[in-house]
Amino acid sequence: MAYKPQYGPGTSKVAANRRKQMDPSQKLEKMRDVTDEDVVLLLGHRAPGAAYPTAHPPLAEQQEPDCPIRKIVTPTEGAKAGDRVRYIQFTDSMFFAPCHPYQRTYTECYRFRGIDPGTLSGRQIVECRERDLEKYAKELINTELLDPARTGIRGATVHGHSLRLAENGMMFDMLQRSILDDDGVVKYVKNQIGEPLDRKVAIGKPLDEKWLKANTTIFHSLGDVAYRDDQEYIEYIQRIHTLRTKYGFLPKE
Amino acid sequence: MTDAITPYPQVRVVSTRFLRPDTVEQLLNKLIQAGGIRRMSINGPGIPVIVPYGPARGQPNPHPGRKVIRVGDQDVMLQVQVGTVILELEDESYIPAIEKAVDEVFADKGFSCSVQQGRFMKTQPSMSDYARYGPDADRDLLGLVDPRRKDGLVIIQSTK
Repeated sequence: MAYKPQYGPGTSKVAANRRKQMDPSQKLEKMRDVTDEDVVLLLGHRAPGAAYPTAHPPLAEQQEPDCPIRKIVTPTEGAKAGDRVRYIQFTDSMFFAPCHPYQRTYTECYRFRGIDPGTLSGRQIVECRERDLEKYAKELINTELLDPARTGIRGATVHGHSLRLAENGMMFDMLQRSILDDDGVVKYVKNQIGEPLDRKVAIGKPLDEKWLKANTTIFHSLGDVAYRDDQEYIEYIQRIHTLRTKYGFLPKE
Repeated sequence: MTDAITPYPQVRVVSTRFLRPDTVEQLLNKLIQAGGIRRMSINGPGIPVIVPYGPARGQPNPHPGRKVIRVGDQDVMLQVQVGTVILELEDESYIPAIEKAVDEVFADKGFSCSVQQGRFMKTQPSMSDYARYGPDADRDLLGLVDPRRKDGLVIIQSTK
C-alpha cells in the first residue's frame, strides 16, 4: 500500500488548520499581492534589479563529480545558477498568528525544495538559494501563512512573539520595521534587518480577530481552543513521550 | 537586612496592550493628580537607540515609541514601550483615586487595564545593585532604575 501522510493528529480546528497548511495538495489561500520588487526590498539581500551574486559557477559550466545522488536529484533554479544562500526569518505572535515556528518548518519541508529551516521558540528562519528564496518568500508573504500585524519579517532582533500587542494591534518590535499607517494598511519602513527603506512597502490590512481565531494554528487556553481539549492530540503526544522514554532504557523485547 | 520591608502599600497598573507614548503621558498625569505617590516605575520592553544585533548592528534605530513625554513639571524620556506602571503610595486611602484615574484613561480604549495590590518593588539590594551602588545604596532607588544606565531617576514635584 502506498504511503499516505497524515500530517498530524487532532480533531480540533487548530489541528485541521495545521494539516491544511502542511498538505501540499491543498492550495494556500492568497490574501494579498506583494510584488517581486517589494519582496526583494523586504529581504534586503540585494538591490531590486541587480544581478544575483554567485557562490560558484553555474552547474552547467562546471565539472560535476560522478555521484549517483546528483543524478537522482534535480537541482533547483538557484542551485543551477550557483546563487548564494540567503534567508528570511519570521516571528509569529502567540495571539493567534496564522502560523508558528514549528508549523512553518513542517509546512515548508512539505511544500518547498532545497531549503534549510531553523526552528526556535520565537522565530523561524529558512535558508536557501537566493532566487528560490525570493519565490518561496513571496508565497510565504502573500498567502494565509502571514498576518501583517501579528507576523513579523525579522532577520534580527525578533523579540516580541510572547508579548502583549500594542494599542493598535501590532506585535511589539523594538526596531519598528512595520507600521500601521493612517489608511489602516501595514507598511514596512525598514527591511528585515532594520535598515530604513527608500519607500514604504505595503503588505495589506491586518486580518480581523474572527478570521485569525478561525485560521490559527496555535492552541491557546485563553480565548480559543486549549491544547488539552484536543484529546487525540494529547494521546498522540503521550504515546510519543512514553515510547521515547522507554527507548531511553533500551528495552529488550 | 530585615529592616528593608517598608509599610507603604504598592499597586501595579497593568494594561492588556502596550501603550502609545501619548496614552502613557495621559495616564501618568492622571496618576500624579490622584496624589499620594512616593515612588513610581514604568516597565516594558526596551527600545534601543541603535540596532543591537544582526548585520545592521550599530545603525541608528528611529522609533516613534522612544520619545520625550511631559509628566507633571518634568520631561521624561521614554526608553521602553510601557505595559506596566508600579506605584508606591503614602497610604491605602489613595488606591480608590488611582483606580478612578485608570478607569478614566481606559474608558474608551477598547481594552482593559487592571490595578493590582501587592509587593512589586525590590526590598533588598541584589548582587548587581551592590556592584553598582556599593554597600550604602539609597534604598529608595533600588529596582527603580536600570543599574546599567548612567542617567538616574526623574523627580516630579508634589502637586500639593
